[in-house]
Amino acid sequence: MESLKEDLKKQIINQLNLEDVKPSDINDDAPLFGDGLGLDSIDALELIVLLEKYHGIKITDPEKGKHIFVSINSMADYIVNSKK
Amino acid sequence: MTVYITGIGIVSAIGLNVEENFNALKYHSSGIEPIKYLAINKEILAGEVKLSDEELISKYKIKTSIISRTTLLGIAAAREAWKNNEHSKDIRTGLISASSVGGMDRTEKYFKHKHERADADITMLSTHDTGNTTTMIATELGFSGYVNTLSTACSSSANSLMLGARMIEQNKLDRVLVGGTDALTAFTINGFNSLMIYDKEWCKPFDENRNGLNLGEGSAFLVLENEKSIHKTKNTPYCSLSGWANASDAYHQTASSPDGKGATSAMHQAIDKAKIFANDIDYVNAHVTGTKNNDSSESAALINVFGKNIPAFSSTKSFTGHTLAAAGAIEAVYSVLAIKHNVIFPNLNFHQEISETKLKPNDRFSIDQKINVVLSNSFGFGGNNSSLIFKR
Amino acid sequence: MSFITSYCSISVDSCFVNGKLFLSDKNNAEKDLLKSLFKNLQIDYPKFYKMDALCKAAFVGTELMRKQLTSINYYRDDDIALIFSNKNSSADTDIKFHNSYTSEALPSPALFVYTLPNILMGEIAIRNQWYGENLFFIAPDFNADFFENYIRIMLEKNSKACLCGWVDVLENNVDAFLFFVEQSDSSKLNLPLTSKILANLYKEKNN
Repeated sequence: MESLKEDLKKQIINQLNLEDVKPSDINDDAPLFGDGLGLDSIDALELIVLLEKYHGIKITDPEKGKHIFVSINSMADYIVNSKK
Repeated sequence: MTVYITGIGIVSAIGLNVEENFNALKYHSSGIEPIKYLAINKEILAGEVKLSDEELISKYKIKTSIISRTTLLGIAAAREAWKNNEHSKDIRTGLISASSVGGMDRTEKYFKHKHERADADITMLSTHDTGNTTTMIATELGFSGYVNTLSTACSSSANSLMLGARMIEQNKLDRVLVGGTDALTAFTINGFNSLMIYDKEWCKPFDENRNGLNLGEGSAFLVLENEKSIHKTKNTPYCSLSGWANASDAYHQTASSPDGKGATSAMHQAIDKAKIFANDIDYVNAHVTGTKNNDSSESAALINVFGKNIPAFSSTKSFTGHTLAAAGAIEAVYSVLAIKHNVIFPNLNFHQEISETKLKPNDRFSIDQKINVVLSNSFGFGGNNSSLIFKR
Repeated sequence: MSFITSYCSISVDSCFVNGKLFLSDKNNAEKDLLKSLFKNLQIDYPKFYKMDALCKAAFVGTELMRKQLTSINYYRDDDIALIFSNKNSSADTDIKFHNSYTSEALPSPALFVYTLPNILMGEIAIRNQWYGENLFFIAPDFNADFFENYIRIMLEKNSKACLCGWVDVLENNVDAFLFFVEQSDSSKLNLPLTSKILANLYKEKNN
């Protein structure tokens, strides 16, 4: 789980071009949207691409993303549960 | 200076000419169907023109095969609008055509061939740029003077009408054929899919449960003339193009602002330009595509402009799909038809009002009121918002 | 009479503001001059990193001029017309987006939103909350006559100033030249707006 979270942070930084952010800057339970990393609607869509690209998970309803992309913790939980 | 509309031509998912389009609107017959002509490995609904490239070439007796689908559709609509008009050195005549994808359809085929075998024909790429489409339409109809191409995403061909009207107003041209054309491509379908605003079902403009748009393809052209030109051509005007405006939204690359700032500004300025009051407008052909964001934003803007007295309105994209650069001209033709026949077109697939704005579009083909003034909106990526006003 | 009150040129390895070298990356240490320029500006705008190279070039060019020329900030939100032009439209990003849905079969939304050149003006408008005229022309070359003519028309109508530029990006080649035109010579550069002066400023940049 911890290594998954670490990978996720790297993948997010890479996929969203978060230039000045290091994996250690992202707290596992900090909000990704809003004030957190300053992500916007296009970033949310890129995160959906990320899930498919790195984790083989396909999301067809962008509304669902709102619940998955709350934080690193919620993303990691979703990935783990999807693979069960 | 009055800008008269004396010719209209259209090709869309609901018909290959003005009459077929009008009848489909009248009988609530949508052209959005499972994709059949475009080679794409997706099962989706789209507003395709119901002829293959080969059938288009044969039907319209096109002499070259080095031609994009965008251009084929453009030629078909431009010919219908232009009819038997003749070129004359006494009438300064121009052509303004809009497109967002240009020859992307052939470029995609080229790359596919290139991937499969080494001897792909590079001349296929010669039709890629949007200017090629305009040049071919110009050649086809014998235009040699002012010829221009516009590309401003989904407001493109509304801006063709606006630029044409301004060229006449500034006395630079006497007559101008204006419009736009776009074919369906994998580029645009993948793009809108990636934004997750492509509905797997039929699009539901203005509906609470709307879930995205369906793309479409097509083309429409209109002939604009000044008084001097009409005196010589003896054409009978359908109506006039009396107001136009383009305003920036400065909000997001693709999304519209929640308060509809750019859209509101475009409508206000077009109303001022037409020297009318908002309550003179009898029908609004909305841009509304069926996406969450677009429909909320335009609804907010309609409330900003009209308050509680919003005239009858509908989105005809539930018939044609969103035809991108062609949408403004296609809906301009529908606006002209609304005035000509005193009708209001239905908004299909509407069931429930959007909870925040509570606007109810016209959902039937209405024939019971006089239509003198129509407002048509076209809002595009980049916050490029245009409004046009047609007047009897 | 109108004046060019600020200008800025950016290539893949150097940036000049008002004719003076601002930053050079000839040794190619950073490998990304646009990013270095942005860092140099020290502004907090993380959206910059999401932009494509075309928008980045126009964005930093505009910011550099805004820094040099305070008068830009005193116009009303619809006073400044944006007039841009280039040769290759958004082809640099179009190609990347095409690859994302053909080779990878995962079309990228972040690329798709940049597959129109006028998004460049959208980004400038969003950053500054400018609502004025904006036009983007595709042309084979930088055409000084065209710019001079069009700026005159804009300034005769509702616009008070024009932010203009030739910004062309294709496969690691950056050719950007931005300039600001006002009705008075607020910066005392003594550059009246003529096509000859414009053509020279553009040429200067390429030498």
